[in-house]
Amino acid sequence: MERKRQITRAAELSSLADFRDFIEASCFDHPAMNDRVLYDLKLAVDEACTNIITHGYAGMDPGSIIVELEIREEQVELTITDFGHAFEPRNAPQPNLEAALADQDPGGFGLFFIYQTMDNVDYACGEAGNCLRLTRRLPTGKG
Amino acid sequence: MFRSLRVKKQPEKVAPDSAAISVEQLSRDPTIPITFRQINSLPENAKRRIYRALLPAALLTDLGVDPVSWKGTSADLRVRLSAEADTNGVFLALRDGNGGADDVLRIELADNMLNGVDLNFIQISDPHGTRYSIDRDEHDRPTHFGTASRNLAEEVKAMHAGLAPGQTRSGLRASGLVFTHLEGFLATLGHRAYFLEPLTYASAWLFERRGFAYVRGHKLMDDIHCEFQPGGRLHAAVDGSSPFRQPEQWRTVRGRAWAIHDGILEAIGARWDGLRMVKQVGKHSGVVTFPDAVY
Repeated sequence: MERKRQITRAAELSSLADFRDFIEASCFDHPAMNDRVLYDLKLAVDEACTNIITHGYAGMDPGSIIVELEIREEQVELTITDFGHAFEPRNAPQPNLEAALADQDPGGFGLFFIYQTMDNVDYACGEAGNCLRLTRRLPTGKG
Repeated sequence: MFRSLRVKKQPEKVAPDSAAISVEQLSRDPTIPITFRQINSLPENAKRRIYRALLPAALLTDLGVDPVSWKGTSADLRVRLSAEADTNGVFLALRDGNGGADDVLRIELADNMLNGVDLNFIQISDPHGTRYSIDRDEHDRPTHFGTASRNLAEEVKAMHAGLAPGQTRSGLRASGLVFTHLEGFLATLGHRAYFLEPLTYASAWLFERRGFAYVRGHKLMDDIHCEFQPGGRLHAAVDGSSPFRQPEQWRTVRGRAWAIHDGILEAIGARWDGLRMVKQVGKHSGVVTFPDAVY
């Protein structure tokens, strides 16, 4: 059962709850979805949109973030588009996993979590905005 | 999130700088956009063949204009094209056939700094609608549609006639057709998006309905909607202190637009300035900053 939905909100922290609720509502009752995948998708949208709000639109009157979710038979695709400053994934700082938890920078885990939980991560910036496309395979059986 | 994620402060150009266009270039990767500067370097008739595709044939035919020759029924040229060599923009105007002073359609597009496309101006007017001279002051000087100066008497009349700020006549209800056509034209050139700066709150709302999202100003539009609700600062500011700030205006797009045109955003420490919208070719962004709006 294929399903494709979209939500657009202003790039501000108060929109994060809308994005998480959108993921939840879009996945609700889908036969191929389970709690683990849903949790990972919500975490990914939260982290990615926080980066856009905090860094991509920094210094600007915030524009839009478009979140699209497409559930196919074997995978779910989450696409996040914004029109702020493009970010450079290769130059993203990596979290220090060796350091003690108490010494950790409170930020720094966003992309790390995304890369850990998603099966594929694509990022492209161009005329039509900055587009982060995340793909997560769906389990064959619910669990 | 990252505390210090590095962002590109200098975005890359979407198409290379090039003053002219060649067959070799057209033969290369068709996903690389062509700029207006390149088209404008072509011979006059070649330019006209290309820019002819900007105007919807159905609209021209409805108005008695031949979509190929651009001539009216009395063989008079009804479309004006301005696309000079060494410039980065194109201007097209469709003249009313009944000798009216105003154009029915005006559209101005230009390459922006990144060689993307800016829609700098679009106006679609009903030539038979009553004209309100909000674009000229009492000394016949241009007001730039009420942005540089204002003709208050004409604005009041226009508002009571149901027009939005910036309109000299009612629209032709053809914007859907024109925008669909424009997108097809831009896709042909290889562009995936285009940008504009909405003149008024009403035009921003209309562009939302056409599928535009915001590069800048989405939060401002949300704030405006929130503050126009009962208890909000903009709701309190439509206090009857001017013809453009009447109490019921918060309920409609046009009412809000006239109040904003009148400077009411001062009440929330904001200005109608710097908003920028983007339309992704072939996609509707789904932005709704005034849910269940009454125009």
